Amino acid sequence: MWRIWMLFDPRRALVALFVFLFVLALVIHFILLSTDRFNWLKPHAAATAVTAPMPAAVGSGGK
Amino acid sequence: MADDKRSSLSGLTEHEAKEFHRIFVVSFLVFTAIAVVAHILVWQWRPWL
Repeated sequence: MWRIWMLFDPRRALVALFVFLFVLALVIHFILLSTDRFNWLKPHAAATAVTAPMPAAVGSGGK
Repeated sequence: MADDKRSSLSGLTEHEAKEFHRIFVVSFLVFTAIAVVAHILVWQWRPWL
């Protein structure tokens, strides 16, 4: 397996690999951010996906 | 120029290729381990299947 580095220049291969992984990570993170369930910046929206809706507040603090 | 040790396409010698490969494999394993831990944590937070 190490013979692959006799074929491909490690410098170019590393640059290509890092660029690929970075772009892939960026795409995945933005896809997750665009969803309700996996948006970690707006955690409130996710609760509705898995748990029952909160009951309406009844007479709390009523005057 | 006709040196045997510099006849590979990438210009690396066998020794250099093996040395780079060792570092590459270790780095890959470290990266994979971090990714596995991250996925376990995200699964605990919100499973996706």
